[in-house]
Amino acid sequence: MKRKIRVAGILALAVATALVATGCSGSSDKGGSAGGKVTMTFWHNSTTGPGKAFWVQTVKDFEALHKNVTIKIQTIQNEDLDGKLQTALNSGDAPDIFLQRGGGKMAAMADAGQLMDITGSIDASTKAAVGAGAFKGESYKGKVYAMPVDVLPEGIYYSQDLFKAAGIDTPPTTMAELNADVTKLKATGVAPIAVGAKDAWPAAHWYYNFALRECSEATLEKAGTSLKFDNACWTKAGNDLKAFSDTNPFNQGFLTTSAQQGAGSSAGLLANHKAAMELMGAWDPGVIASLTPDQKPLPDLGWFPFPTIAGGAGDPASMMGGIDGFSCSAKAPKKECTEFLNYTTTKSVQEAYYKAFNAIPANSDAQKVITEPFLKSVLAAYSKAPFVSQYLDTVYGQNAGNALNTGVVDLLAGKGSVSGIISAVNEAAAKG
Amino acid sequence: MSSYPGATSVTDSQPLQGTQKVGGGAQRASSPAGPRPRRKATDWRQRFEITVLAGPAIVVFVAFVIFPVGLAAYYGFYRWKGFGPPIDFVGLGNYVTIFADKAFHEVLLHNGIIVVLSLVIQGPIAIVLALLLNQKIRGRSIIRVLIFVPYVISEVIVGTGWGLMLQTTGAVNDLLQSIGLGAFRADWLSDPRIAIWALMIIISWKYIGFAVILFLAGLQSIPEELFEAASIDGASYWQIQRRITLPLLGPTIRIWAFLSIIGSLQLFDLVYIIWGQYVASTAGTSTMATYMVANGRTSGNYGYGNAVAVVMFLISLAIALAYQRFVLRRDVVAGAVTERKK
Repeated sequence: MKRKIRVAGILALAVATALVATGCSGSSDKGGSAGGKVTMTFWHNSTTGPGKAFWVQTVKDFEALHKNVTIKIQTIQNEDLDGKLQTALNSGDAPDIFLQRGGGKMAAMADAGQLMDITGSIDASTKAAVGAGAFKGESYKGKVYAMPVDVLPEGIYYSQDLFKAAGIDTPPTTMAELNADVTKLKATGVAPIAVGAKDAWPAAHWYYNFALRECSEATLEKAGTSLKFDNACWTKAGNDLKAFSDTNPFNQGFLTTSAQQGAGSSAGLLANHKAAMELMGAWDPGVIASLTPDQKPLPDLGWFPFPTIAGGAGDPASMMGGIDGFSCSAKAPKKECTEFLNYTTTKSVQEAYYKAFNAIPANSDAQKVITEPFLKSVLAAYSKAPFVSQYLDTVYGQNAGNALNTGVVDLLAGKGSVSGIISAVNEAAAKG
Repeated sequence: MSSYPGATSVTDSQPLQGTQKVGGGAQRASSPAGPRPRRKATDWRQRFEITVLAGPAIVVFVAFVIFPVGLAAYYGFYRWKGFGPPIDFVGLGNYVTIFADKAFHEVLLHNGIIVVLSLVIQGPIAIVLALLLNQKIRGRSIIRVLIFVPYVISEVIVGTGWGLMLQTTGAVNDLLQSIGLGAFRADWLSDPRIAIWALMIIISWKYIGFAVILFLAGLQSIPEELFEAASIDGASYWQIQRRITLPLLGPTIRIWAFLSIIGSLQLFDLVYIIWGQYVASTAGTSTMATYMVANGRTSGNYGYGNAVAVVMFLISLAIALAYQRFVLRRDVVAGAVTERKK
């Protein structure tokens, strides 16, 4: 009897082991065509609200037009996306379509042969509507690796009501005016400027913009390839930021404030009238809208370009700006994947995109439907800008970019120094 | 941290034997048949049984522990971005960079502080609480459960909850303000001078329940007669605690300290939840594990990250072995003595 039990136990164990073993190796329904049917995976970062709904609808419409295609959407929180994407690319289990940040990050993926060259697959109508500028931003070594869906120039978003309450009639255009407005806003008891330093990059964007004003276009472009910050303008930009941060313009506890998550985030502070300003790219109105009490766009939202400074080498009308694009992985089914990318830039989809994200669509025909005054002023500044630089952390790639961002946070927290920002980037070079 | 629950059962009712097993390491575990005389007929069957029973565990252990450790050591010699196979061999270059990196020195300091403060703060408080709860007082089991609850809550929830409460505009500062202690308001999480203490408060709150439960188990295995004999001989309450309870609780305390040290060295989740991916080093709470993630995964330097993992593994291993050799060994000997007396 006893022996029987023992044998049964061994059998059970063997079966269990077999189950565990197969569980590890199973389930790998990769994209690919079987009998004309194509399944693709699609990663983007709109986890809530109308943005999420927009992609669901777009995919559904696309599937209706292409009966043989199924697209599986996976939404990933913005701050987690880059790390997860890199892990997925490393493991050879990459999504077929994914959000592309461009710059050094895109270059690293392209160098590793992970991206599909879509240069020859872009529709003529898309080319005409989107324009060469946006495609240039999604190119590397003369090849286009991503389809731009929107343009995201940066500037300062602010609450017109809070500005009025503080007695500010027109938004500041110079640093001196900004400093004066910060003082006025403090007197009313709100935080003048919200910054989500927990995520590092929102704080670092202040440094990027000071660098944009202090450094010439040529200097910025050169640093993008050499990763050397020997020009004096980098230090001057750091000094500008230090001087500005010494006036305590940021919200209390900004070091542990995140950028986009919840009412306590920097976008949430603006959405709930706890802070008056935030330096952000053009995705911000959509993020703010999802964090207002009624989850509707903030009615009194305004925008002005980053203030000018005296004596900088940069053009005062230059802007920081990103482009959101989508890439196909090298292993994705080429025809279907590029068809989907082209589809995302068609006029009707782009108009829906604008409505969902409150962002400026890449398609210039779709830009005509923009009604919000703040987006109109963003667009006006964007079309006048002589030079639009990609965000520096994107340009420098994940390694140097992260080090730069962390160096800026250290400076703002009073832990690091201006020279620390530059040495942080140099030290990072030794690690990768 | 996952080693904690297992250890609870080890010290369950027979702490001396339990510690002996942990302290004795692999030699003891590898001869489960013991000194029993073997008969040839059953020999092959026993071996077969051992193979079948231990086989899957060994396979899983090799595949998911030994193999990754070996791979990490291999990748650590390369400058590798994680795309494709590593080709840029840099020898010990990554290790030189690690030990020259100021941020890594800070990380070691933080880990050291956490190890020492965890022992110094949690140990005495847990012993006192255990002594208290070992008395027959009203509502004892409820108090025990309450003390143990934080340990059961997941790190993510603890981190998020405390993170929100300790915000500059959070509940703790509001509370201080409203009870007239506004002068004590602080940037609990952002001020580099305070943040590590905030972390220590959270860690103590979270893990003290585990220490108390462990000590209670140890206390209950001390024979009642010893206390009776001592009080008949006229020993006071404090003398009994000092001369009988604490020495006999020694093995349990040493095992707890071991688990606490290892847990502190590998601390990751609480810091990562509260301070996020980037600002732990700024706030002065970065640990070896968060350094590894920040400089390895987040920065996309997979070769460097693997080298950090190896360094972390070696440091933990060295400390664990030294502790077993110099501290836990006495429990093995002591355990053997009591066993013989039985």
